[in-house]
Amino acid sequence: MAQASFSALVLSGLGLILKAIESTLLSKTYHGGKNPALDRVTMVVDSGQVFTLLGRNGAGTTTFLRIAATQLSPSSGEISVLGSDVRHAPDRVRRNVAAVPQEGNTIGPLTAWDHVYLALLARGMSRTEARKRTRYTLDQLELTEYQNQPADTLSGGLRQRVRVAMAVATDAELLFLDEPTLGLDAISRRRIWAVLREICKEGRTILLTTHYIEEAEILSNHVAIINSGRLISSGSPSDLLGKVEERVRVDVEGSGVSSDELASYGRLVRVAERWRVFTSDAKAGELTQEAVRRGCRVSVAPVSLEDLFVELVGREEE
Amino acid sequence: MMVMKQLRSAVVIGYMLSITWIRRNLLSLVWLFATPFSILFIVTVTTSGQAFVQGVIGSLLLVLVSVGTGMAGDATWYRLELKLHDYFIASPVHQLAYLLGIALAGLFYSTPALMVLIPILVYIGLPMASLPLAILAVGIVWLFSAAIGYLVSTYVSNLRNGWQSGLLLSVIFGILPPAFYPAEILPSSLLLVAYLVPTTHAVLLLRVLMGQTVNLAGWSPLIGWIALVVMLLVALAGTSKVARWRQP
Repeated sequence: MAQASFSALVLSGLGLILKAIESTLLSKTYHGGKNPALDRVTMVVDSGQVFTLLGRNGAGTTTFLRIAATQLSPSSGEISVLGSDVRHAPDRVRRNVAAVPQEGNTIGPLTAWDHVYLALLARGMSRTEARKRTRYTLDQLELTEYQNQPADTLSGGLRQRVRVAMAVATDAELLFLDEPTLGLDAISRRRIWAVLREICKEGRTILLTTHYIEEAEILSNHVAIINSGRLISSGSPSDLLGKVEERVRVDVEGSGVSSDELASYGRLVRVAERWRVFTSDAKAGELTQEAVRRGCRVSVAPVSLEDLFVELVGREEE
Repeated sequence: MMVMKQLRSAVVIGYMLSITWIRRNLLSLVWLFATPFSILFIVTVTTSGQAFVQGVIGSLLLVLVSVGTGMAGDATWYRLELKLHDYFIASPVHQLAYLLGIALAGLFYSTPALMVLIPILVYIGLPMASLPLAILAVGIVWLFSAAIGYLVSTYVSNLRNGWQSGLLLSVIFGILPPAFYPAEILPSSLLLVAYLVPTTHAVLLLRVLMGQTVNLAGWSPLIGWIALVVMLLVALAGTSKVARWRQP
């Protein structure tokens, strides 16, 4: 039902990739702030992607998103969105974007239908088109059965889905979603992920911030890790994981193997009652055999984006 | 075409933020009666009914000033709590359309009070032929107040200050100017200050439209209209220039 961005589809059909966002040395220091919230970030977001900004609280991900969405002025540097300069031509950018701001709320007595339908009308859509898109989006986000309920009678998760629907239902080429699944249960989150994937198939682009690393790993074509305002790593989830030397993590529980012995296999981290060893495939095999022989409980898993994130951010902070 | 689209956006936003509330929350209509009608009551009783006309004019203007300056609180709430401001920035909706939308929402809330006060005004002497001009004068005051309320809201960093600013502005623009008392009793120095507030000119124009004689040095209906229009344009231009649509 939703129409794909024609230009994006044609260009991707021709094998050309448009840049949805391009920033060069983008910085932001808030009034009265000592340290920059964003520090010389140079980044490119290609069209038709789910691009995720991953970072700790206060890392600068929301700041980047808000600048790109024309909600916040940068202190220095350049940024263009869909080919238009965000600083000097924000109105051109605004014609083709939509946003779900972080931690907002619904409007008390408005129903789910009202929220989406009226938001589309306010954006200038025709009534017929707005009705069609509202119906479709509420269905996509499994909100149809609540569409006539006032938002203040809905659960927090449903209200958040309504807010997401207000952006998703638009025909914007670029969506800014600032922690769109915050506070949602696992099922609702997956529902939203499915919708976001469909949006990407239409050739539209999504810039997303999240603290859920699993979300970034599953959903994103590209992940940028930001810490203390600086871009510390960027790439597809598999590219990022490919940069890691220790590809396997082995969790060992029990007193049969000393920490010194474990450390000889790789990088060692204490996780509650267990030791976690980050190591290579070959060493993981050896370690597992040895630990099992000595009566320890062992579990082996590939290194996740979360492990990488913790390592990169931890290293930065050291 | 572009202007029509933005006007449509404003009407939709106004509807979004008022009608649905009103349908489910009739109390939200009543509070606007409270202050203007209380002052009208006091003014009427303490002057044995002699200042009733002045009191009705003052009440009408206070209703519109209150819904306008009340935007300082409302728009702060939409920005900080609902994040509606951020939602509409990242959209084709222009800042002035958003402002007008919130202002219209306030106007819709004030409809019952206006539906009581305007007929009273006609009943006590406003000729029907002058009604459009009277509506224009009070409409300018409403839009002026809304522009100022919105402008302030974009600088307020917490909700409580937003509501407080709105109340303070409504005193400055709705209660202190000569709306509930005749401007003629003001000393000339204070009258000069009162001329800086559009409410003063609107009150004087309403009095003229109702056939009263206004004898004030340096004021005439023409000057009143010019002052109203200029103040509105300055407020709108200033707001669109200075208000923080995009946060700095």
